[in-house]
Amino acid sequence: MVAALKRPGLGRAALGGLLGFGFGYGLVVVLRLISGLPATQTAQTGYPQLIVGMITAAFGFLIGLGAFDYWFRWAAGAPTYPAELEHKAHGAHSWRDYFKFNTDHKVIGIQYICTTFVFFFIGGAMAMIMRTELAQPGTQIVEPGTFNSLFSAHAAIMIFVFVIPVFAGIANYVLPLMIGAPDMAFPRLNALSFWMLPIAGLLFVGSFLAPGGGFDAGWTGYAPLSTGAPLGQSFFNLGVQFAGASSVATALNFLVTIITMRAPGMNFWRLPLLVWANLSTSLLVVAATPFIAGVQFMVLFDRLLHTNFFQELNGGDVLSYQHIFWFYSHPAVYIMMLPGFGIVSEVISTHARKPIFGYRLMALALIGIIVLSYTVWAHHMFVSGMFAWLRIPMMITTLLIAVPTGIKIFSWLATLFGSKLHLRSTAMLFALGFIVTFTIGGISGVMLGMVPIDIHVSDTYFIVAHIHFVLFGGSVFTIFAGIYHWFPKMTGRMYDERLGRVHFWLTLVGMLGTFVPMHWIGMEGMPRRVADYSAQFGDWNLLISCFSFLLGAAQLIFLYNMIVSWKWGPLAGDNPWRARTIEWLVSSPPPIFNFDQIPRVVGGPYEYGVPGARHAILGPAEAEVGAAEPAVAGSAGTGPT
Amino acid sequence: MTRATLARLFAAIVVLTVVIAVPMTQIHWDGTQASSQADQIDTLLNVMIVLSSFVFAVVLVMLGYCIWKYRAKPGDESDGEPIHGNTKLEVAWTVIPTVIVLFGAIYSWIVLGDIETKAADALPVNVTAQQYKWTFNYPLPNGQSVSSNKLVVPSGRQLDLHLTSLDVIHSFWVPEWRIKRDLVPAGEGGNDIDNTVRVTPDRLGTYNVVCTELCGFGHATMRALVQVVPSDQFASWLAKQPRVKPQAGTATGSSTGSPSEYSNGSPTGGP
Amino acid sequence: MEAHAATVEHAHGPPEAHQSSRIDRQTLGILLFIVSEVMLFGAFFASYFFLRVVANVGPWPPEGFDLPTAVAGVNTAILISSSFTVHYALVSIQRGNRRGLIAGLGATWLLGFTFLFIQFNEYVHIGFSARNGAFGTIFYGLTGLHGAHVTVGLILLAMANIRAWRGHFTSEPKKHLGVEVPGIYWHFVDVMWIIVFTTVYIL
Ligand code: HEA
Ligand code: HEA
Ligand code: CUA
Ligand SMILES: [Cu+2]
Repeated sequence: MVAALKRPGLGRAALGGLLGFGFGYGLVVVLRLISGLPATQTAQTGYPQLIVGMITAAFGFLIGLGAFDYWFRWAAGAPTYPAELEHKAHGAHSWRDYFKFNTDHKVIGIQYICTTFVFFFIGGAMAMIMRTELAQPGTQIVEPGTFNSLFSAHAAIMIFVFVIPVFAGIANYVLPLMIGAPDMAFPRLNALSFWMLPIAGLLFVGSFLAPGGGFDAGWTGYAPLSTGAPLGQSFFNLGVQFAGASSVATALNFLVTIITMRAPGMNFWRLPLLVWANLSTSLLVVAATPFIAGVQFMVLFDRLLHTNFFQELNGGDVLSYQHIFWFYSHPAVYIMMLPGFGIVSEVISTHARKPIFGYRLMALALIGIIVLSYTVWAHHMFVSGMFAWLRIPMMITTLLIAVPTGIKIFSWLATLFGSKLHLRSTAMLFALGFIVTFTIGGISGVMLGMVPIDIHVSDTYFIVAHIHFVLFGGSVFTIFAGIYHWFPKMTGRMYDERLGRVHFWLTLVGMLGTFVPMHWIGMEGMPRRVADYSAQFGDWNLLISCFSFLLGAAQLIFLYNMIVSWKWGPLAGDNPWRARTIEWLVSSPPPIFNFDQIPRVVGGPYEYGVPGARHAILGPAEAEVGAAEPAVAGSAGTGPT
Repeated sequence: MTRATLARLFAAIVVLTVVIAVPMTQIHWDGTQASSQADQIDTLLNVMIVLSSFVFAVVLVMLGYCIWKYRAKPGDESDGEPIHGNTKLEVAWTVIPTVIVLFGAIYSWIVLGDIETKAADALPVNVTAQQYKWTFNYPLPNGQSVSSNKLVVPSGRQLDLHLTSLDVIHSFWVPEWRIKRDLVPAGEGGNDIDNTVRVTPDRLGTYNVVCTELCGFGHATMRALVQVVPSDQFASWLAKQPRVKPQAGTATGSSTGSPSEYSNGSPTGGP
Repeated sequence: MEAHAATVEHAHGPPEAHQSSRIDRQTLGILLFIVSEVMLFGAFFASYFFLRVVANVGPWPPEGFDLPTAVAGVNTAILISSSFTVHYALVSIQRGNRRGLIAGLGATWLLGFTFLFIQFNEYVHIGFSARNGAFGTIFYGLTGLHGAHVTVGLILLAMANIRAWRGHFTSEPKKHLGVEVPGIYWHFVDVMWIIVFTTVYIL
């Protein structure tokens, strides 16, 4: 027992968390007593002893887990060795290894994906409660205050601990393989990034236990509503810090990995588009996420230390919150979309058996999107009373984002043109479905970008419709495509395509039925973020709720398919889709160090149909460049022997 | 691809555009139009619906065509044609959307200018929001004012609404007028929150002011009545209301130590 | 970061990654981290702009707020000189001069600590707190954020100091990254202070 608590692991982590909490709590109490204040502060927004306690608890948890063991040894000058060689901390030898501080990018990828999907179902369950409440006008099952907490937590969970990190998880698994690297550049930082995520998620979910209820100022947390809200709001402020630190660290890791660890021959114009997508996303994350960290700190200071960042009566500026928040959160919507664009490019090219049309323009379009995305934040503030002159320039840049995005859509369509299209994979269904639903969401975005239209529909269900068309029809569809596409690689087993197809069609129908009518009721006058609404919208809302239950039920099919197939699915072989990128050249699941020898890259990633073309060569036996062998047909795979 | 297929695809796109756009523009999605601004905004919306239908039809038709035409036969494991790109096409689908969105931007700019021009005889009304109620205050020429918790306005005359909040951010919206603007709590130190919004109601009837910015647990029910009446009826309504002696703006303002800016914003001159 | 390769020959380790860029991982990593740090300061500078230019049009600092610019100026000089000492430490180890390394790192740490101490002292005697109006808030916001970064820099430098004493660094190119990387961070902290100082005390 004692020995177990000394070894790094969840047990020691729990102990560390408790000790950390005690330390932080005690520290605040002692400091307050020294300065002659009452020991604890329990004013509505205050509770510094709890806030500091939660921060130190999180660090105690991480220390207990073993996240800093290496660095402590290193800092003290004790002998250290890379984690890859510390066999216990690298690679999974049993399922227990997934619950440890592990530095293998493949293990971390799976940890990410499973954790984030747990949060997806929690956030989805909250949506189901909301839809039940909204099925009829009037108050049914939750109080208005609780309803506010529900959609705030729903959105915070979906955005910060589902969509953003699940992309990091998928890329964690496949990206190093794709560029021919044995691991990420900083494996320990990678593991630390992952373990900050459950902390953020627990803070979001745990806020419901706080006195005064969960945070209820929306996922946007506008001041001064948030600076005056009860304790739960601080959980949001802190959760965002941990999720944000996690994604900055991961982005930094991706950038360094992509820049310094590409296999020989892998120049930038041979990178698979998924790598390009993560490259540009990571640039966005590194340079935008600190803004939300900064603004949530300011809110926290206003709440705890009574500073005046947003207190208008003492010289603060209320609207500055929105400017700083959206300067991050608009780029954030592309952080939630660009990795998906990368996934769709991989899936479409593979299942259409064709090179990506206009590969270079596809990569440049990504860069165009990230550059433009820094210049449009105020389109969320057209009716906020901000500087009136800023609206026109922001409108123009906003509308221009449709151009690089359109380039991507049209290039995918052109890739399908003249192809050998296979619809047998659920991944391809989701990728094609994505093109339709994301285009709808993008077009409604363009309408929102036009100031006179936005004046009418801002803060109505039209926005809710836009959000879910781009986030569900966009991001989540690509996430499903990615999960189905790489499931055989990650688990070595095949999922049930029949269930996959059922999942796709029910999801598509459910999502259209749920979110299309929201445009209409929004334009007709139903505001968002309301627990109760006027009776004229009753019928539409009932219909929406019914479809949303269908949508929810469809996700249970997915869950069943994944769990059962992981355990009992038929063996998949190394390369069931006959894809060309490097991750398909190794075994499924890949060996613990990815390669025996770093592969050599000799051509583009999508040279389908080009006689004799190859992307990469594994192992010394195949040394001659461009060996005359034709592309291997059949699903035999070309893994290393 | 032969010229005939191209023509057929184009025809399909046009047909689909019409099929989507015609019913969509026939329905008044935005509901009743009750201000002179509403018509322009709805026209803009309809133009965008047509253009968007075209864009969407292009995507849908091309996707459908590819799935129908290029679907691999069972057992066919060969690869597609290795086409890597086509500069002319790529230029086309960069330029055409650019033209469309720039057209949209300029058109919106013009509409925005139109709906925000100030009329000479605008009627000033001070709108004050607080959790969870609305107060409307009509300044009168003699320095007195009238306060009301419903917004009664004459038809056909522009309103100059000055918006203030006493606590958190709220938002003023009358769906039938299509006009919305946040009410932001502001300090004294000189700030440039744009707190004036204009609208010209032109249809008699009773509507709702809807709060559209999340402001707490009462947000969903923060409503007020709007009555648009003929101008003589408005005059007699106003005459019947009790007068408030000191300017209501300063009265409410001092209790929370806030906006002197509020009284600056409301011209005491009146009509 | 230095693998003690000799101890692990037996293991079936990963293949050595191909180095596809001239810059090494650690240096690129710290540079990217600095980019995100700059943006964090950017958020607070944005707030500064809104508070000073948009929300408060009167005199700045408002009446009643006096800043000890002279003391802070001296303090600035102290911090800037530590940039030179840390550079000296790096040059020393590159030439194989371990004593110079230890002296340079030690001096840097002491200078940094002095800076923090003086700043803390300034807070105690300055006569207003973060609760006093927009000026107090953003003054403490910016200088406090910077102070937090100095603290982090000092922790990194403390590690470098320990390892220098233990003789972990040599003049070979990759064998003194542990000095180089904290050094880059320390330069960033200094440059940032010049910007913060100019904005808060002088402009
Ligand atoms: C994945 C997330 C994601 C993505 C990708 C987008 C993409 C876009 N969004 Fe969206 N947006 C959100 C997530 C996202 N958004 C969220 C969460 C909110 C609400 C936040 C809140 O308040 O809670 C929001 C809110 C929001 C607003 C504010 C509304 C308001 O509150 O009043 C606006 C306004 O301009 C806007 C615009 C756009 C535009 C122009 C795009 C463009 O990038 C879309 C570009 C794509 C296309 C246009 C389709 C494909 C292109 C073609 C086929 C080419 C041809 C097209 C034309 C010529 C039109 N979005
Ligand atoms: C990636 C982001 C994401 C995702 C995936 C979703 C998914 C869903 N969202 Fe969410 N949503 C947002 C992001 C997202 N949302 C954001 C940013 C807001 C704005 C918040 C704000 O205003 O601050 C919002 C707000 C929002 C609202 C508006 C609240 C309001 O303004 O009053 C509604 C209302 O219907 C809603 C519904 C749904 C539904 C039905 C789903 C479904 O797609 C969910 C489907 C998944 C499941 C259902 C889970 C799986 C199944 C189970 C857990 C088992 C239980 C099943 C049954 C009982 C059938 N969302
Ligand atoms: Cu007031 Cu919502
Ligand atoms: Cu945006």
